[in-house]
Amino acid sequence: MACSGGNKDRDSVLEYWSSNNIGEITFSREIVEAWNLKHPESTLKFQPIPEGQSSEEIILAAVVGKTTPDIYSNMWQGIVEFYAKANVLVPLDTLAGFEDFVHDRCDSLTIREITSSDGHIYQFPWKINPFMTIYNKKFLAELNLDTLPNTYTEYLNAAEKFKKDLDGDGYVDQWFGNTSVRLVWYQRLFNFYTLYIAASDGLPLIKNNRAFFNNEYAIEAFRFLQEIYKQSYFSKEDQTAGQDPFLAGKIATKFTGPWEIEYLERYKPEGFDYDYFPIPVPEDHQGPVYTYCDPKSIVIFNTCTEPQIAFEFIKTMVDKKGDLLFLQTTKQLPRRKGLDTIKAYENFFNENQRLQAFVEQAKYIRGMDNCEVITEVLDIITQEYEACVLHDMKEPEKAIADAERAVNILLGSQK
Amino acid sequence: MISYFLVSPYLVHLILFVSFPVIFSVVLTFHKWNIISEMQYVGIDNYSRLFQDRLFWKSLVNTLTFLVVHIPLQIVIALALAYFLDQKIFCKGFFRATFFLPVVISGVVVTMIWKQLYGVDTGLINKLLVSIGLGKVEWIINKNIAMISIAIMATWKNVGLYVILFLVGLQSVPQRYYEAADVEGASRWQKFRYITLPAINPTIFMVTILSTIGGFNLFIEPYIMTGGGPLNSTLSAVLYIYKQAFEFYHMGYSASLGLIFAFIIMMVVVIQKYMIEKDE
Repeated sequence: MACSGGNKDRDSVLEYWSSNNIGEITFSREIVEAWNLKHPESTLKFQPIPEGQSSEEIILAAVVGKTTPDIYSNMWQGIVEFYAKANVLVPLDTLAGFEDFVHDRCDSLTIREITSSDGHIYQFPWKINPFMTIYNKKFLAELNLDTLPNTYTEYLNAAEKFKKDLDGDGYVDQWFGNTSVRLVWYQRLFNFYTLYIAASDGLPLIKNNRAFFNNEYAIEAFRFLQEIYKQSYFSKEDQTAGQDPFLAGKIATKFTGPWEIEYLERYKPEGFDYDYFPIPVPEDHQGPVYTYCDPKSIVIFNTCTEPQIAFEFIKTMVDKKGDLLFLQTTKQLPRRKGLDTIKAYENFFNENQRLQAFVEQAKYIRGMDNCEVITEVLDIITQEYEACVLHDMKEPEKAIADAERAVNILLGSQK
Repeated sequence: MISYFLVSPYLVHLILFVSFPVIFSVVLTFHKWNIISEMQYVGIDNYSRLFQDRLFWKSLVNTLTFLVVHIPLQIVIALALAYFLDQKIFCKGFFRATFFLPVVISGVVVTMIWKQLYGVDTGLINKLLVSIGLGKVEWIINKNIAMISIAIMATWKNVGLYVILFLVGLQSVPQRYYEAADVEGASRWQKFRYITLPAINPTIFMVTILSTIGGFNLFIEPYIMTGGGPLNSTLSAVLYIYKQAFEFYHMGYSASLGLIFAFIIMMVVVIQKYMIEKDE
């Protein structure tokens, strides 16, 4: 047996874990079967990540218990630096052929984004789910808007027109949108951070180990969200349980990714129609709108004693053919440059018109900074988000400045 | 030799699951460790950080706030229900089972249900309040009442257990005391105040201690219902320790928080024990 981690079959050289998303399981199984047929001398054992509260917890437990697989897909880009600093990942740029591979697949911005602070690359950029604003076409048509609400002012004006007290009890029960109010760090990725990326054309939160977000874009994003809650345009209630408020017609918009398409197509009631537009931006914003893309990567753990074979396998997973199979089985987008210009994908995108908006958006995306303590940074922002946005107890300027101060103290203590 | 053999299972358990974790935790308090990297010795840094950590002290105050609401509420309701169930009433067995039912339901399930009930816009409680002409209450999103809302839910969940304890206490009061009081012409209240209450005093103390220890362990309810918010008003000490350990991987700091917190609980229990013994 070549690798020490995991519960590999006696004959398998490598072990690979995917996420437990049904589409990704199907994709991974097919890819592994094809590899094993072609490479009987270096076969792979595949399994979805074991069940747990979150995949992050399972991976951490596996690292601690030294039972990591050799290859894991679906690692959130933001957490890679944490594992890289702990020396549990293979620096991929030390593998033969990696440089050519990564330059063939990714543009220079993506390569810069995935390069660790120590100059090495520890992740294969694999897939993205760019965030956009989904909207109920019927509801927005009823508002008789001149254009879609692309800017903060247009969005707030549309929200004012749309919010209603349907049952006449004196309280709003039809909101313009919804975003999570849960005080968990990762929820800020899907509201504040996405708006910040859109407003700033993809500026980082952290630069040169200092907070970089005390700027007009973060402040305006906070002010925009604060106004939304102050005017009851969004509910302050956690609406994750019960009926989907978008499908139930209780909200007109929300910030979401392409995974929503398959879900909506399966469960939408008759006559329900929807479309997407970019994330709202400040009035003076010029040019294309960037967004957060929720990037997931593939990593090789250093318990793997055959990293070159692992790399060769991953190449088959993410080559053009592999990406097409990934598109077909998961309807998620590969993180690959020129996605809309690749001939082999033309038919797929023609058959899946709803994905077109996301393919277009994929040209203007941003992932996450390489910061070992990014979860704590987002937690600090969450504390200020709660005080300023949800409870209107602080001015956005002060909230962002307080977050900046706390983040700099945190980063200082990490030196 | 046979005696050593007989106690060995317990000794193995004690060493592996009690002594080792306790000693390891104490060692951990002097280190910085994120689980996957090498431990780094930091001396008493974790302790000095702890004393300046505003959130830790806030979490302690929150826990005490919870106890102040939860314990009296629990004792009063449990005693009232036990007193009611001790009377000759219709369907006594049904009521006893009903009051005990929430105790055996999973804390996670109870919390999820109450989270829905407390919903400000779609919650059943607010719908009822609005239907009778009252206003909506921000049960778990208003920092001034969120902890009280959690205390109410925790009381509902646990009260059945204390009802049983009080019931046992009430049934152990000799009947002849009440007969003597009847002869003296004592009212119902006087019998309760001067016979029942002193007689069940040990039960009240036991319930207080159990509630205190249970209250100090407050975790599931704020973790699921509020995440510690709004504005950290429901951040309990245990939840804060958990967050430091398993959200941010500050194992050393979390261990030092845990150790100080364990010391505080021990002090409270010692004081309560002293009061009980003094009373006896």
